[in-house]
Amino acid sequence: MIELQERTRRISPSRLHEILLRHNCASLVDPFMGLPTHLNYLKRHGIACHGGDLLEWFVRVGEGIVVNDLTILRDSEVAEIVEMLPGRIYSLDMFKAWEGVFFSEEQCVYLGVWHDNVRNLRSDGQTGLAILGLWRAFCYWLQKTQNADDMQDVPPSELAWSYIRQTEQWVIANMRRNTVRQTDVLTTVAAQKADALFLCPPARNSFRSADARIWMWEAWWQGNPYFTIEHAYRDSLFGARAADPPSYARAFASVLEHAEAYPVLVVQTTEQRLGDVESLVRNARRKVEILAPHSYEMYLVATN
Amino acid sequence: MLPSAAICEGFGTVMNNRLGQMTLFQDTGGDPRGAASQFADVLTVYGAIGDAACGNPPGLALRKASTAVSLARVAECEPHECDAMYFAGLLHAVGAVGNPAYRKDERLSERLARMESWDTPSMGAQICEHIPALPAQTADIVRWQAECWDGTGYPDQLRWHGIPRPAMLLALADTVVRAADPEEALTAVAMQSGRAFSPDMTRTFTMWFHVSGGEAETAEPPLEALRDVSAASTLALMDAIADRIDKHNGDEGRWRRVERLATASAALLNVDATENERLALAVRLYGAGEIAKSQQSEASFDPLARLGIDDRAAHAVLAAKLVEENPTLGRAAAVLRARSEWYDGTGKPDGLFHRAIPAAAGLLAAAIAYDALGHKDRIDTAAGTQFDPQTVRAVLEAARTRA
Repeated sequence: MIELQERTRRISPSRLHEILLRHNCASLVDPFMGLPTHLNYLKRHGIACHGGDLLEWFVRVGEGIVVNDLTILRDSEVAEIVEMLPGRIYSLDMFKAWEGVFFSEEQCVYLGVWHDNVRNLRSDGQTGLAILGLWRAFCYWLQKTQNADDMQDVPPSELAWSYIRQTEQWVIANMRRNTVRQTDVLTTVAAQKADALFLCPPARNSFRSADARIWMWEAWWQGNPYFTIEHAYRDSLFGARAADPPSYARAFASVLEHAEAYPVLVVQTTEQRLGDVESLVRNARRKVEILAPHSYEMYLVATN
Repeated sequence: MLPSAAICEGFGTVMNNRLGQMTLFQDTGGDPRGAASQFADVLTVYGAIGDAACGNPPGLALRKASTAVSLARVAECEPHECDAMYFAGLLHAVGAVGNPAYRKDERLSERLARMESWDTPSMGAQICEHIPALPAQTADIVRWQAECWDGTGYPDQLRWHGIPRPAMLLALADTVVRAADPEEALTAVAMQSGRAFSPDMTRTFTMWFHVSGGEAETAEPPLEALRDVSAASTLALMDAIADRIDKHNGDEGRWRRVERLATASAALLNVDATENERLALAVRLYGAGEIAKSQQSEASFDPLARLGIDDRAAHAVLAAKLVEENPTLGRAAAVLRARSEWYDGTGKPDGLFHRAIPAAAGLLAAAIAYDALGHKDRIDTAAGTQFDPQTVRAVLEAARTRA
């Protein structure tokens, strides 16, 4: 059975927003954005958001809920995503490798259908919304493999429909330019000017133990069930080149060095990693304030 | 005209009243439980005001607090978590007070209003963070009470184990108190397993349902969990609530203006201490009556016209209802209810006449009307009909001296 991780990093955008307000920040760059729901929250509150990540599906979702100001999916368009369309040729065995391991035969067929339908959407915004909605249906299935008796059986198209319809509610304009890019951290940091830089860097070698719900969805988006994110991270700053503690610290320090132009730096960490992270941040900035609401949700707010 | 000596004396008393408002909440002779009990009473009213602001049925916050504690016990939460859950349940909707989605002066589209309403929990958390007496976890439980296991909740769209267990238990409690009957709640929770609630939480809920029959006994507030409360902190909380109500109603600073005028006038009329206390409480709470979006704002009507009398009476009744069963603030209920009565007996809701109207209610009504009037001295025209002539003279005199 697949193992679903218990603890995920918690980014509380409402708390992050309170920090940004306190420092009069109207724009933010997040080069490790992950699933950018927190950027969507900040956008909704008028902050100009710029995100970056190495995984393509995160960036695609960002195009749906961060960059996109007004495109939504109408009922007819959702219907064209969740079900097989007559006249279109589908690669129904695209995810056959997952059959019997993670999913049923029917679910694997639907994953293939959804993949093809979403790839055929013309708008980036709609594609992002659809990917997010379908990912939630996919997570529901994975969760159900572990709690079969506790969760309702919902027909795949109905489940996907309800989740895609829900994504529409997050679309909002903030009258600012918001961007996302698929690139490594230093490129994102250098590409934008903003009042604040938010860093929530991955732990050392964390891509090796990435949550199945994350890497499998990248595999889905790439249309390759054997895809691993190790491949994507291999040559990145926090990837294989930062496998040992000194090189991880060097990688972190180089990000801080490239972030000098940002007036405010917000670094999120945990109590376990606070000692290492704090010393690196203090080397880079004169004033460092620590906000520690929880042992697994701590913020270092650094200014000059 | 009142003699100037009386005015000076009056203002001396005003100062004493303002400085001496610590006595609004009884000195408990060093008994921390007594002070905590008064503080908890004020929190209960704050919770009820939050419910009124977002259109929840009366009493929902108290039932939610009790249900949350009952669920927490079955879930084997730590005692300090149970305490925090009680207060989080009580204050679950305080973020609605001042939220643009529910505010009087906001005209938002349905979509924007819905988005603003998503911030109710985080605004509530900010309010809780500014009440140092509350257990430490309270603010976070309030902040994340509307998050969903699958990441579709609000405000933060947290997912999976990123949502603290107590917050999810409070969300379960919310489902229980909003359901028409316990079976409906059980069905709703089962349908949402893996979506709004984690499968673990659903199992916990099922266990609770079988243990309790789907109904929670009324829980007593965990007074020992409130930290460093005193009469002064209770008064500060009351002031903060009144400020927030005014902000919500789109008239910031109104209660403070009305309070200055009403207490000065009360001093000129030598109103007794008990009545002064009732006035001081009522002046902080009367705005709560018009807090629901469905209620017409008092600013829409000439305060001296009969046209708005039904609305004013509705506000008065609602404000009185919010406090009438409250051991600490209940003494202000009669004043709050009678503040829309007319001196000549033609007012509402009870048609009280002359001396049957509490002095504090007459003073409060006249001070509110004076504050709302463009041409202030026009209040004189309502002497003998809407207001006691003596009260009008005192209000005008007090206002003139202040100017």
